[in-house]
Amino acid sequence: MLCAESLRVQAYFDGEVDAVSAVEIERHLERCTECRELHQHLKRTRTALRRDLGYFQVPPALAARVRRMLDEEPVTAGARRAWRSLPLLGRPYWRGAFSGVGLSAVAAALALFLWSPLHTDAVVEDLTSAHLRSLMSSHLIDVVSSDRHTVKPWFAGHTDVSPAVADFDPQGYKLIGGRADYVAHQRSAVLVYQHGAHLIDVFSWAADARAAGGREVTRNGYRLLFWRAGDLEYCAVSDTGRDELRSLARLIQGAQ
Amino acid sequence: MDDKRRRFEAQVLPHLDAAYSFARWLAPSPADADDVLQEAALRAFRAFDALRISDVKSWLFAIVRNCHFTALKQRQRRSQVPLPEEHDAVDGEAMIADTPDPEAVSIRLDEARTLDHLMQALPAEYREVLILREIEDLSYREIASVIEAPIGTVMSRLARARTLLKGRWLETVEGAPRAVR
Repeated sequence: MLCAESLRVQAYFDGEVDAVSAVEIERHLERCTECRELHQHLKRTRTALRRDLGYFQVPPALAARVRRMLDEEPVTAGARRAWRSLPLLGRPYWRGAFSGVGLSAVAAALALFLWSPLHTDAVVEDLTSAHLRSLMSSHLIDVVSSDRHTVKPWFAGHTDVSPAVADFDPQGYKLIGGRADYVAHQRSAVLVYQHGAHLIDVFSWAADARAAGGREVTRNGYRLLFWRAGDLEYCAVSDTGRDELRSLARLIQGAQ
Repeated sequence: MDDKRRRFEAQVLPHLDAAYSFARWLAPSPADADDVLQEAALRAFRAFDALRISDVKSWLFAIVRNCHFTALKQRQRRSQVPLPEEHDAVDGEAMIADTPDPEAVSIRLDEARTLDHLMQALPAEYREVLILREIEDLSYREIASVIEAPIGTVMSRLARARTLLKGRWLETVEGAPRAVR
């Protein structure tokens, strides 16, 4: 039933053949109806799977558990022993297995961080200086409240945007108030969270077409984490660790 | 934070979401996936110092897979094999939603659920290669290193998996098996 070339057609579709074979297979596809249908089907299936299957993120609680567990690990003990117990070593195919790494590693990295000059330095400067100013002056908070029903209407009258407002006190991020600050020539809304001894400012402003989430920047010892939701761009700024910042970002994304 | 921990955070933890996603597809329930990921992260951390890893993602996936099988064996030994829980990939809060066209969403949601269930119903050895290839975008070599099998096996399993999925999709959605357009 199957054309003898079907495995090669699949390999061609998966980008696993060299240029010479690719030309051969393309010629074969012109002649062979069955393989042409197979190729079409492979494309359709991939599109459907990539579009429809869920992709899971580590829940914040689990991520915290993993980190706690790593904290408790002794620094060097047991490394060699544990490695030897892994069944991957010494298999011949494993040794050669990494020559074709480049593309997927790059794709994976891209999926996590969209490194591109999308956020101009001006925005980063705006955010950092706004955060610093708020810490040094009395302009930390304009509206003091842990009640989102108080903060949200306040934003409506004082900023150009109206972001989702939520308190995450049970998860360790207490909403302590809101503020208006200029970012990217707009009156952006700032939510102020307290996490342990740290303050985290979450800025939001109307995203322009170039905006994209997923970027992390450090500036003057402060960490900036950008993401986008709907037509708003968000940036969390703080001197906490990146994981704390990411957890808060996930909580906010989850609440939207 | 010591140097090893810092390098681990920089090189391995960026793949944690992908590893978790893979664990969710392997494990019979979300809670099992949590356990698998936790164990895998620990093993990875302990092994991390012993070598230079050129392909961290495949390496981490292989560890996740081994942890999954270890957990599976332990459960079988205790003969407490839970029925596979319905994965909440479609409705799950952790899913990254990407639904640009609201009008098409409800139809698409049914299709997505069907596809999700069909994937769940595939035998594990076929499901894992499909996930690694189509969702995680691993090359044949990388898949071979994750599932610890020769590349030829990867290719034949992928072909079989795709044929199986196609047959079941046609049965489910279009009522009866027939040739694809």
